[in-house]
Amino acid sequence: MEANAEIFFEHGKLGRPLALSVGLHVAFTGVIVLFSMLPGRRGDIWGAGGGGEAMGVSLVSTVPLPASPIQTQNVVANESKGLTKSQPQEKQNEPDAIPIPDKTAKTKPKPVVSASKAKAKPEPEPETNEIPYGQGGPVSGPYGSFSANGAKGGFGFQGGGGDFGSRYAWYAKVVRDKITENWLKYEIDPNIHKANRVYLVFDITRSGQPTHVQIEQSSGVPSLDNSAIRALQRIDTFGPLPPEYSGSKVTVEFWFDLSR
Amino acid sequence: MSYSHLKSSTYRTTIPFPISTFAGEMVSNLFHSPVHIFRCALLLGLTFFIALPCFAQDWIRTGTGLGVEKVRLAASDFKATTQDPKNADLLKAFNDTLWNDLDNAGIFDMVSKSFYPLQVPGNPSEVRFEAWNGPPPNASMLAFGDLGVTANNVLVHGWLYDVKNTASPQVLGKQYTDSATTEGARLIAHRFANEIIFRLGGGVAGICESKIYFVSDRSGHKEIWEMDYDGSNQHQLTHLGTISLSPRISPDGSRLAFSSLNKSGWDIMMYSTELSRTVSFPRFGGTNLSPTWSPDGTRVAFSSSRAGEPNIFIADASGGNSRRLTTDRGPDVGPTFNRKTGSQIAFVSGRTGLPQIYTMEADGTNVQRVTDQGYAVSPSWSPNGQFLSFSWFRKYGAGAPGANDIYLMDIASKQWVQLTHDGGRNDFPSWSPDGRHIVFQSSRSGTEQIWSMLADGTKVQQLTFSGRNSQPNWSWK
Repeated sequence: MEANAEIFFEHGKLGRPLALSVGLHVAFTGVIVLFSMLPGRRGDIWGAGGGGEAMGVSLVSTVPLPASPIQTQNVVANESKGLTKSQPQEKQNEPDAIPIPDKTAKTKPKPVVSASKAKAKPEPEPETNEIPYGQGGPVSGPYGSFSANGAKGGFGFQGGGGDFGSRYAWYAKVVRDKITENWLKYEIDPNIHKANRVYLVFDITRSGQPTHVQIEQSSGVPSLDNSAIRALQRIDTFGPLPPEYSGSKVTVEFWFDLSR
Repeated sequence: MSYSHLKSSTYRTTIPFPISTFAGEMVSNLFHSPVHIFRCALLLGLTFFIALPCFAQDWIRTGTGLGVEKVRLAASDFKATTQDPKNADLLKAFNDTLWNDLDNAGIFDMVSKSFYPLQVPGNPSEVRFEAWNGPPPNASMLAFGDLGVTANNVLVHGWLYDVKNTASPQVLGKQYTDSATTEGARLIAHRFANEIIFRLGGGVAGICESKIYFVSDRSGHKEIWEMDYDGSNQHQLTHLGTISLSPRISPDGSRLAFSSLNKSGWDIMMYSTELSRTVSFPRFGGTNLSPTWSPDGTRVAFSSSRAGEPNIFIADASGGNSRRLTTDRGPDVGPTFNRKTGSQIAFVSGRTGLPQIYTMEADGTNVQRVTDQGYAVSPSWSPNGQFLSFSWFRKYGAGAPGANDIYLMDIASKQWVQLTHDGGRNDFPSWSPDGRHIVFQSSRSGTEQIWSMLADGTKVQQLTFSGRNSQPNWSWK
């Protein structure tokens, strides 16, 4: 009998299963790599913006409430918390504490500093009157200013000896208000935040209709130009020109900058 | 010497705005406990809902001409020029009417009379500009004038001054005369107010002389009544002793179409406001309801069941040449023309079950459904053709949390906004000729009464108080 008996009477043949396993793993990895490299087969990245139904939520510390539609000048009933804060409550000394004469003799009582004094207001930026070259608008005389949701500009009247705008200031206001009301801001491309100055010219006939609406200088943004033209087209009439005014029409030059 | 201590104690009592306090508390709580995440989400949702009407304001104010910025207008009491004993009564009627007209116009921020200087002007030489254009009145416009009775006539001078423009202040100077009665004084006040609104409102005529027609049961039967736009001067027009409904005045104001019950059933009737009696109009047979006028006054559309189901028919103003426009099975009622073009008709149809608003061309083609759900009736087209106002149960059915409210829809974009919120059943909206006001029927006071409001839903006021009053219709001018 042999000294070392063969207890494992059959050797396991590991070679084949091992090779099979390695082969399978390699194949599987290869398939995954190939699959990911296939063009146009990019999977959806979860949580990314624009991924169909998913949306990103971010916590904010304050919620912007819409401004009250009624603007009131009343100091008491507005949303402002006021400029000053109430003074902090004075600390009451404990009755048991006996002041030591040596130590309290030289200390002066600190003056109470009110909250409004302590916090210095940031200095308002000085307003400059300088007008960059070429951006001052026409110098045709008195003109009204115009401001509507990010668009700022002005308009001037030509006709009536050049003083139409000052003689009939109420009519100039009607013109300004009507244009402001009829200008729909949602017609402007929301991606546009800044644009070159636009110059528009139109006539107002004796009966008050706007005619001959033209763009003198385009902003380069078609949706902005069109929205301004549509605003004027939407207006049937500004009301008849003042009866004292003798001309048959008034020419209005109207310009604005968009910045929002 | 410093006054800072005084200031600080003065401002300490500033009342915090309730909503902002609530919001602040909610947000600070959020970071203490995860339970509050739900509350915060609710708040965010609430904020969104509050913000929605603000976006809506843009297109409403554009279409209704209700101005973004209102003119600050002072209207001082007119002065007496003669010693006639009638002066006092007429002045009161005149001043009250003028104030109400300007206040109701919807484009003015009226300066309260308590801010006025003690000496009010009666003619241009008495105007002290610095007393009006600075605080407290801080007015930009001033209406003033005088009134005097001589014999049986009243003579009124009225001026409108731009008090911020001292160089050439006069915008308007007018002289009126009428019989020395309260009615005469009211009429002059209406005309002067109309003139002011026309000038400062950008060429849109005022509505101070317009009328409202409505149904009232004050006499025991439902008859057609008429009143001024502000609710005064209410009087009965028809005396048929049956039931008369849905009055519709013609664009020139000469004829009033309505539907009335008689022996043969419901028929369209015509009332002449010039002759003060009913005039002939053909009887078609079947049930004929809800007439309406085309804006040129040459055609009348109505609902008739002479062919079986109630369908929309159109006829000449005399009733001739009638023909059928809709041919579906469902009941079609309540037509109304596009008041700007006259080429479209909005109507109510029950073809899919609950009544919904539809539009079509005036020849019956291109039928389109406008409302998507609920129970929508009583369409009324705005004078500029841009809006439909109608009565809508957004959620309708047993136990549904719906209310019957007036809604406004921009017909091109189909976006809508709710105008009434104050409970009761609100129905039968009708536009004022200037497109800035809507008159409607509401049961918010307990019984059905006529109310009016600005077209953005503000400045709601009750016009009728006695009996039950319904189905108002505003005249075209």
